[in-house]
Amino acid sequence: MITVRDLVHEFDGERVLDGVSLTIADGEWVVLAGPNGSGKTTLVRQFNALLEPDAGEVQIGGVPAAENPVRARTSVGMVFQSPRDQFVAATVGADVAFGPENLGLDHDEIDRRVAEALGAVNMADREEERIDELSGGEQARVAIAGALAMEPDHLVLDEPFTGLDWPARRSALQRLDSLAADGTGIVFVTHDVRDVLDRADRVVGLESGTVAFDLPPDDARERLAEIDVRVPGPGAG
Amino acid sequence: MLTYTPGETLAHRLDPRGKLAVQFSFAIAIFAGPAVPWLPAMLALAVGCLLLAGLSVWRALRTYWVVLLVLSLGPVLGAVTLGPPWIQPERGLDSLRSVARVVPVLFVSAAFVHSTPVRETRAAIQRTVPGRFGQLLGVGVALTFRFIPVVREDLRRIREAVLARGGERRPLRDRAGRITTLALARSMARADRLSVALQARCFAWNPTLPRLSFAPVDYAVLALAAGLALSPLL
Amino acid sequence: MSQEYSDSVDLVNAGTVAYLSGAVLIAALTAVLAQFSIDLPGGVPFSFQPFGVFFAGILLGPIWGGFSMLLYLLVGIAGAPVFSNGTAGVGIVLGPTGGFLISYVFAAAAIGLVAHRSLAPVSVDDLPAVGVTAGLVVGSAIIYAIGVPWFAEVQGWTLPRAAGFMAPFAVGDAIKIAITVGIVAGGNELLERP
Repeated sequence: MITVRDLVHEFDGERVLDGVSLTIADGEWVVLAGPNGSGKTTLVRQFNALLEPDAGEVQIGGVPAAENPVRARTSVGMVFQSPRDQFVAATVGADVAFGPENLGLDHDEIDRRVAEALGAVNMADREEERIDELSGGEQARVAIAGALAMEPDHLVLDEPFTGLDWPARRSALQRLDSLAADGTGIVFVTHDVRDVLDRADRVVGLESGTVAFDLPPDDARERLAEIDVRVPGPGAG
Repeated sequence: MLTYTPGETLAHRLDPRGKLAVQFSFAIAIFAGPAVPWLPAMLALAVGCLLLAGLSVWRALRTYWVVLLVLSLGPVLGAVTLGPPWIQPERGLDSLRSVARVVPVLFVSAAFVHSTPVRETRAAIQRTVPGRFGQLLGVGVALTFRFIPVVREDLRRIREAVLARGGERRPLRDRAGRITTLALARSMARADRLSVALQARCFAWNPTLPRLSFAPVDYAVLALAAGLALSPLL
Repeated sequence: MSQEYSDSVDLVNAGTVAYLSGAVLIAALTAVLAQFSIDLPGGVPFSFQPFGVFFAGILLGPIWGGFSMLLYLLVGIAGAPVFSNGTAGVGIVLGPTGGFLISYVFAAAAIGLVAHRSLAPVSVDDLPAVGVTAGLVVGSAIIYAIGVPWFAEVQGWTLPRAAGFMAPFAVGDAIKIAITVGIVAGGNELLERP
């Protein structure tokens, strides 16, 4: 469970987050939508203590993230926008193993987690392949596997599929669906909800650093358009 | 270009720590030892390393041809003087003795490069260099290796963009400055994103170290390394 | 579930991760620039490699700048084709031009030390052009002070002969120092780091 209370964050004296409160239950599929500059990225980076709040608090499973970053980072897995900058090894298996290695797990457990995470994103038995030779869609899925290898309760994806074509996005989204079906919570951060609106349990709209609305998908369409987020039109995907 | 190539040779199967030790002690033996009498034996040993790694002498020579060209300038230019007597053969011979030592070292390193993936060298560093420094060096080597193709692609695009905007007609200073600034800016932006990604995955001082283990043959390799390192004392 | 790791995992602090990441990218950039040149009129190649060394010191300061060049050296020894003409291996480091490669570690550290006048780097905006110029001159002097005697030793030449052979390269390096000072003094906002 992710609990956000009265969160304030400032960059160079400017308020990027201005009193955000939010609760995300285990296993929930949440779309966090907002236009560029609304504070989405700043908010989710607090979930695993990559940023510390100026006021307010984020709790992961009841423990403040800033007090126990290891717990926050194992419980909330992060997938960032450009996969190329988040890979830390030249080959698929070595990259996915990076997180479990940092946890000090033994080699058998690391191998098991790598195999399982790659299996979950349809990349089984491709440990030895060079990441730079994969397609964009495959890279996005390996990035997801890198987060999954920590066995997180929540997976946070920050504009993860930018620049991917529809078949690549569809394939990655299907993997998210099956993860969600197995109980992993998904937090999908985007300024374009067309692919994900129907999948979500809830849509949280962020505008100028505050929560503008927090609604079921069907009720959120109109409000999303108001804050300049692209929504599925009639006849579209 | 000579880089790691997967294979099943004996050299491929050896522990990287033993192979690194042999490389360095080979260099000690050849630079600190009595060069001339030993040189044929060292050359034979170096060729042996090449063959164990499944490389031909010809391939090694071709890989390092620029270095060999520079080395060959040693005796040629070394023998020439700017005034009478114009040619001093004994000076050329001195130089030949000196540059000849480098050739076997090049062969041994070609055998290493061909038979050892970077991640094994990284593991050897992390398991040999103690403490936090070893951890930073090991992870740093792996990350640098991973980012070289990414940065190469960035630079290629920057160069094309500068050319497309008529950069060729600009003065050198302007053009070189522009390319360098753009390449640095892009690299530092990547560094910022990498930094966040490393933290998100619990980058720690005390991770599980990569697997490495010594087989009996690796002890023989270590013994060879020790013998080579001590040989100048004979 | 995740509680079990919390006590045993010793996280690297954010500042160290940031500098390590910077050192990695500058090392990778130096490796790429070593293979990169533009042709001057007459076909003389203008190599970009010194810019990697220069900016390692300028952007990262003495400790991490030197560390960055150490990564460049090690990744080449480990087998990445990062030395000139796409070569790799310890044989290149011990060969005729290896002194120049080794000198980069010390040159980047010296540039960082002179330019920043402290072990911890300050913002690039705050670096005075005089300090940067002095740092680059000292750094280049170190590159030649290590590289040329090494070259002489391996080639079996006298030092003056080796110095005479290398002298033409100093002209190009002087131009590169001027370009580098121009980039830094231009207050280039592209190089600002948060």
